[in-house]
Amino acid sequence: MYYIDLGVTGLSFGCMYAMMAVGLTLVYGLLRILHVAHAAVFALGAYATVLVANASGSVGLGFLAAVAVTPLFGMAVYRLLYEPLLNYRADVPMIASVGLLVLMQDAFRIAFGEQGVTFRNNRFAFTTFDLAGVRVNAVQIAIMACAVVVFIGLHLFTTRTRVGIGWRATVSRPKIATSFGVDVVKVRYMNFAIGSALAALAGGLVGLLDNLVDPMIGYVVSYKALAIIVLGGLGSVRGTLIASLALGMVESYGTIFMGQWLNRDAIAFLALIALLMIRPQGFTGTRTV
Amino acid sequence: MWNVKTKSAAFAAKPVVSLAGILALALLSGTPARAQIKIGFQAPLTGFAATDGKSAKIAAEMAIEEINAAGGELGQKLELIPYDDQAKSDQAIFTANKLIGEDGVKLVVNASYSASGRAAAPVFQKAGVLMISAYGVHPDITRAGDLMFRLVHLGPPQGHAAALFIGKDLHLKKISAITMDNDYGQATMDGFLEDAPKYGIQVVNKYSYSLSDRQFGSIVASVKRDEPDGVYATGYFFTAGPLVAQLRAGGVTAPIIGSQAFDSQKFIEIAGPAAEGTYIVDSFDRGRNDAALQKFFAEFAKRAGYPPENVAAITYSAVMLMADAIKRANSADPPKVRDALAATKNYPLLTGDLIGFNKLHEVIEAISVNVVKGGKMKSFTKLNDLEAFAPPEK
Repeated sequence: MYYIDLGVTGLSFGCMYAMMAVGLTLVYGLLRILHVAHAAVFALGAYATVLVANASGSVGLGFLAAVAVTPLFGMAVYRLLYEPLLNYRADVPMIASVGLLVLMQDAFRIAFGEQGVTFRNNRFAFTTFDLAGVRVNAVQIAIMACAVVVFIGLHLFTTRTRVGIGWRATVSRPKIATSFGVDVVKVRYMNFAIGSALAALAGGLVGLLDNLVDPMIGYVVSYKALAIIVLGGLGSVRGTLIASLALGMVESYGTIFMGQWLNRDAIAFLALIALLMIRPQGFTGTRTV
Repeated sequence: MWNVKTKSAAFAAKPVVSLAGILALALLSGTPARAQIKIGFQAPLTGFAATDGKSAKIAAEMAIEEINAAGGELGQKLELIPYDDQAKSDQAIFTANKLIGEDGVKLVVNASYSASGRAAAPVFQKAGVLMISAYGVHPDITRAGDLMFRLVHLGPPQGHAAALFIGKDLHLKKISAITMDNDYGQATMDGFLEDAPKYGIQVVNKYSYSLSDRQFGSIVASVKRDEPDGVYATGYFFTAGPLVAQLRAGGVTAPIIGSQAFDSQKFIEIAGPAAEGTYIVDSFDRGRNDAALQKFFAEFAKRAGYPPENVAAITYSAVMLMADAIKRANSADPPKVRDALAATKNYPLLTGDLIGFNKLHEVIEAISVNVVKGGKMKSFTKLNDLEAFAPPEK
């Protein structure tokens, strides 16, 4: 039973990372920018969720607001921060991105307080289901369900629809895609919009699970998601998904062997270092959507 | 702002008047107003620790006003000279040097965190300035020298007290131990692990988590497997809230015993109904039937707009104790104030009765335990076995 418990936990960690990291890897695939400020989008999503949920009394409305606001923010970041810097070396937009992340974290602190915000009415974090002896939290179920829906949806979108196929083409062969009439700039906006909405969803769910949204909320996922997309083979959605789930499992099962000496983050990074030494090109090594 | 602007405009228009005005001002400030005893003050007024710093400053100002309203000390008024150290060591050293060099301060209340207090302590000691650290828990603060005092228990004694409470009061035998892996969390846990065998406590398993973690699924699963009689955890309210909520949601029903920094209304807010029944060792006994404490609560809430936490209460007491020591020393001279402080016996701090200081100027004080009941912190018991959690002497 213990191992199943850990498995469920690992799966929910993994699904959360996947939703966060997919936007990051798509930005990298498209623009070759390490979009560090994606963590700020995650935090913004969490804040939007909790603030609107508390104001309106409906957690659903909170999520709706988060998923509506963050794509605008993501697109604005592209337009105002990255687009003017596209002709510079890749480290220039990355440093700008780090700057934005730090600025946003402090902005959250100043605007909403050091102590963070809790959900006024959060039934979900305290509701658990007993599935054949395994206790699963309602929010954990929601995280896993969201991830499944999101990834199936993304898969269908990029294989069955014209826009999606154009997107995929732009990520893997931008020049050829342009010559076939795909509007690359529109694809970039769509990319930031979808990636940001997913990060916001993940942020809102994590806030709900912790019953706390504080300025630190994006901090750990920021560098962990970066490691995940490297491990997944930069720019690959499939690789990112595999890497996220693998990392979640390692963190969860790692507690058995090393929990006494190392915390979950340290276990994760130990595994990441080991994996990258064995496979520096990541799991897939190719760019695909 | 507006006043200043209009005044300076008026001065500019009539230079003669302005000169006269300045002269008059200079004369006024030169007249023998009573000399002041300056109390230097460091707190994190901006940055990540600003919440605590602001509370501390409000509390310190309340104390100064109260002392001055009663006539000050040695026939002089007390003056608070506050600086923002941002809870950073470099800012702490910088502002300490300003207090010493520019302000000529001889007595300081440091209402800041460990890192900054630890950095400021040797600077003050070297300059012959006396410092009371209101709530900094790093051992190096008092080790900086004979002019340093501290008003809270160090981590290890808090852990010793937790072992005593869990073993002797709650009679729990099998414990899962969860450590926040920063200085404070580890030092406190070390104290617990050291003394646990004395009370027949068996630590089934140990886990650690980082300060930035809020998701404890794997620890919860492991604790469930341990089937402990109780869970002892160190942490801050913002890690403790999610931890306790997730332990309860995961089906852990054993009593949870937390460390001092759980003690915040925010902890109860985060953990919600799951917080019920959580014990907090070395917590702030708010319910004491103490007129001074209740008066402080009311006045603080009026000024700050929110109820005071431990930090505010202990900072207020630090300033009051400083004034008391000046009175007893009949001098504001640091060595004399030091001797008076060291000789303190049974002084009522807002957080509890200070029995005295040991050789290292660490507090000797009973430790109270709170329990969360009906969404509020309630006093549960008081640990009076001072030997069991005696502070270090060097």
